[in-house]
Amino acid sequence: MAVAQVQDQLTLTSSDGVDITVDRDIADRSLLIKNMLSDLGDPGEPIPIPNVNESVLKKVIEWCTHHRSDAPSTGEEDDNRRKTTDIDEWDQKFMQVDQEMLFEIILAANFLDIKALLDVGCKTVANMIKGKSPDEIRKTFNIQNDFTPEEEDQIRRENEWAEEYESPP
Amino acid sequence: MSKFKKVPVSGGPPRRDILASLKMASIEISKPVLPAEIMSSILDHLGPIDLIRMARVSKKMQEMAYDDTRWVQVLKRIGCWNELEARRGAEKTTGPTLPEKAERYQSAHTVSGPDLDKSALSDRNGYLFDGFDPISLSMVKPSEGSTDPAQDKALMALNLVKSTRGQARQEYGKLHSVLAPFYEDIVDSGGSIDNLVFKVYGEPESQARILAQLQAFAKSDVTEGWVERRQRLNTAVSLFETAAIREFRNGYESDDIDDLMRRYAYVLWTLNGAGSALSLFIHHNHLVTRKSGFGNITDCIDQLTGVIKLQHTQAYLTRLGAAYNEEISIIDRAFPSKLKVISPFLSKIGKDILSPFFTALFDVLHRVNIESYLKAVSGTFVQCMAFMQDLRPTQSSGDDFYDTVTCVISEVYEQHIDFYLAEELDFFKKACDARVGDWDRQLSEQAASTESFLMSNVNRQADKNDFLSSFKKVLMMPVNILPNFASKPNPPKPGDGPAAGDTATAPKTTNRFLPEAPTNELSAKAAIMNSKLEGIHSLFSIEVALSLVHAAKTSLERAAEFVVLDGEYGVAAKHQCAAIFVALLNNLGHRHVIEGFDKAVDHLSNYRPREQRERDKSGVEPLVTFLELVNVGDLILQMVDVFYEQELVGSKLTDRNDFLDPAVKGKKRFEQMLDERVAAGLHKGIDVLMEEVDYILATKQPATDFNPEVSINPKRLTMDVNTSEAAIAVVDVVSSHTQMLIGSTDKSTLDVFNQEVGLRLFNALCKHLKRQRISVEGSLKLISDMNHYLKFIQALRNSELLLYFRSLQELAQIYLIDPSDAKELASIIADGDRFYGILRAEEVYEFAKRRADWHLVGRSVERAMYGIGCNVM
Repeated sequence: MAVAQVQDQLTLTSSDGVDITVDRDIADRSLLIKNMLSDLGDPGEPIPIPNVNESVLKKVIEWCTHHRSDAPSTGEEDDNRRKTTDIDEWDQKFMQVDQEMLFEIILAANFLDIKALLDVGCKTVANMIKGKSPDEIRKTFNIQNDFTPEEEDQIRRENEWAEEYESPP
Repeated sequence: MSKFKKVPVSGGPPRRDILASLKMASIEISKPVLPAEIMSSILDHLGPIDLIRMARVSKKMQEMAYDDTRWVQVLKRIGCWNELEARRGAEKTTGPTLPEKAERYQSAHTVSGPDLDKSALSDRNGYLFDGFDPISLSMVKPSEGSTDPAQDKALMALNLVKSTRGQARQEYGKLHSVLAPFYEDIVDSGGSIDNLVFKVYGEPESQARILAQLQAFAKSDVTEGWVERRQRLNTAVSLFETAAIREFRNGYESDDIDDLMRRYAYVLWTLNGAGSALSLFIHHNHLVTRKSGFGNITDCIDQLTGVIKLQHTQAYLTRLGAAYNEEISIIDRAFPSKLKVISPFLSKIGKDILSPFFTALFDVLHRVNIESYLKAVSGTFVQCMAFMQDLRPTQSSGDDFYDTVTCVISEVYEQHIDFYLAEELDFFKKACDARVGDWDRQLSEQAASTESFLMSNVNRQADKNDFLSSFKKVLMMPVNILPNFASKPNPPKPGDGPAAGDTATAPKTTNRFLPEAPTNELSAKAAIMNSKLEGIHSLFSIEVALSLVHAAKTSLERAAEFVVLDGEYGVAAKHQCAAIFVALLNNLGHRHVIEGFDKAVDHLSNYRPREQRERDKSGVEPLVTFLELVNVGDLILQMVDVFYEQELVGSKLTDRNDFLDPAVKGKKRFEQMLDERVAAGLHKGIDVLMEEVDYILATKQPATDFNPEVSINPKRLTMDVNTSEAAIAVVDVVSSHTQMLIGSTDKSTLDVFNQEVGLRLFNALCKHLKRQRISVEGSLKLISDMNHYLKFIQALRNSELLLYFRSLQELAQIYLIDPSDAKELASIIADGDRFYGILRAEEVYEFAKRRADWHLVGRSVERAMYGIGCNVM
């Protein structure tokens, strides 16, 4: 009976108390849940996901559902390969959300330990950063400039090789 | 609980302040700000330019972006980071025990202070300049054309990178500033002759160098879209490569080796190891295009007989060798010495020149003449080995040159070996079959026409001696000179009479016809039997055996050539050699010798001496011939043994001690079977011999021998103490046969045989004795007979047999006792020790009954015996 349930479904409870039922193989995309289940066995009750709210969790499950048949990857080499491959089309569309949601997804992926999703998120953010000036980056990420003008100047001087190429237009 | 939940919703009284502030805090945390580790992995996906911009955002970001491991990773991708050098550098500057964290800390400081940076730089100049060159490009001299120092620096950019922890970002920076413009240019505009590289550098050497560096540099580019960028770069590179190859080819075709060809070989070597130049050189090599000039197949085959002409294949190889040496000098002049030209070149020669030539040659030969094919495969293989050993290695080729050569040859012969070995075995088997079949046929023909031939023992003995010496000669001779034994006449022995000129090699020769046509059925049968037995030694022949062994040797030697090949094929060749030997054993041993033995044994068991009318003076003829057969069989076994030692063990084809080896097993089995047959034959032989003994005793021993009183011959001598005629005849027959075995079989077999003969003789004599009537006078003759037997047995040196015959001698004395001494007689009969325990009292009593005067003494003897019995009791 327990086996049948394992192959069937799981219920996850988001931080705002919504129960979502998913197939076991989808939930297994999350290494956190997978390891927990293999360590403790099926608890037979909803699993609380404390710091992911309903909308984000749904989004994450959507991604997991689409990638449910991907080969699980843990190897270091595999890791390297994944980092260098481009984001596929579906993922690109999937990531077309507002910045807040994007960050939430990344955090959730980090928490749930879904490496592939985390990578897609990071790549998307990296693409956002690409070609932006430091000021624009600060604005995007809400970061305070804590450099003195002298310090700023010095960094520029140190990295002249990058500087000379900053202005192609 | 529910009440508690409602409270914050309804606004919350001041008492819940603590909880409310907590809730506020949690809301603030839930606002998405990415933690540092995620920021760091985002930075992993950024290119160097963006990383530097990131560093300018804030101090925290700067720390992350400047992280040395990040830049080390980049340098590693390019392939110019040397971990060993870095470790050494780290030990020198900070001491070996300092943990890596401290280094990173230091690097952060280095960045923030320009002074420190400078000092670090000068430091490095001081002791790190002898760093490894991580790229093999350094082997090539910088082109003479470039004089501009900046350009020079760009050309050597990758070599100038130093592996120093904490300096990776700076090192990358240098690299980037030199190479990035070219890279971006190609990426932006695609590969074309208008690329910046080709504008800045005029010399093809420099262009190649930059392109090679760009290929390495491009490996560090892993951000979005790198695949496409890499492709563009590759297009540019191949564009350049194609142009260079064209020049290279022009050089080769116009024979401009030292200048054009050499120059572009080096250019391509710089670019990507000159693989394309190499394959072009090999594929368009003059050797291949001119290969028909070395010779053609038809020259190598005798059109009439289909025989291979090995001197023509040799000439072919010599011409090829000359052409090859020319090409080798081109290789030496044109290609960089580091480049491994020789092994692909050799395998090209093997694949495109030697292989097709030999394949075609073998195909033709296989159709025309199998034997010639076998010779060709083995012969050309030897020639090829010799040819390849004589080839001149290039200047650069090292010790493995000859390994390569062997490898190439085995590739050429690979496709043929299995087939060849199978054919070789098949050919040998067929030859054996034919030879043995031929022999059988001759034999049956001979039997059908009831021709028979007889050879004197002297002549056969001579044959054997002659054979052994000639066999040794054969083994020493090279394969090609095939001595024709069948036609070689044996030297005639003087004084042999008309049979001297005839030998075993001419079985058809009619030595003599049967004396006359048989007159009745019985005699006809006997005559046929006689002819069969006379022909017993022709059941198998040394000549056939010799020719089989020789065929085996030829095949074996051809196949053994391939054993020099290592690995699979060498092993296969060895196995095939063993298989040939086993086939030899099967054909020679089982089909020829063993079958012959079987037939001989069969004949022996069918032999009925009493049916034979004309008796030979020399003895039991079938046994004589059988013993001859044993001799011949033994000889063949010795021959096989010599063959095994010299051909298989001597040339290390098989290990004598490996009892699992099929050759060893086969030999063992053959020996065993031969022994069995000999034993069976001897058993039958003894039967026959004993029958003969019985026959002699029955026919030649007149009753008057031991009971002269009954004789009606008035002239008879009284007291004849000579040995009887029958005893002499028996001993003659038996001893002539036992002596024949001496030397031909080993001692233990001989002992067993003698013992058996002795025992059977003993029994025969006992039986014979019981049939006689012996008088006191006749007992003298009997005693002398017994002495005669004993003398013969003494010669056999068998102590056990001696006892038997001693007891027989004692027994004879009971007939000597005068009838008046019945008591004495009785005590002798009862004295078991007297007969060495071999004859019991009852048995002796039985013999005593054979006294001629038993009816007189019997009663008193019995009384005395029982009386004695009573006394004892």
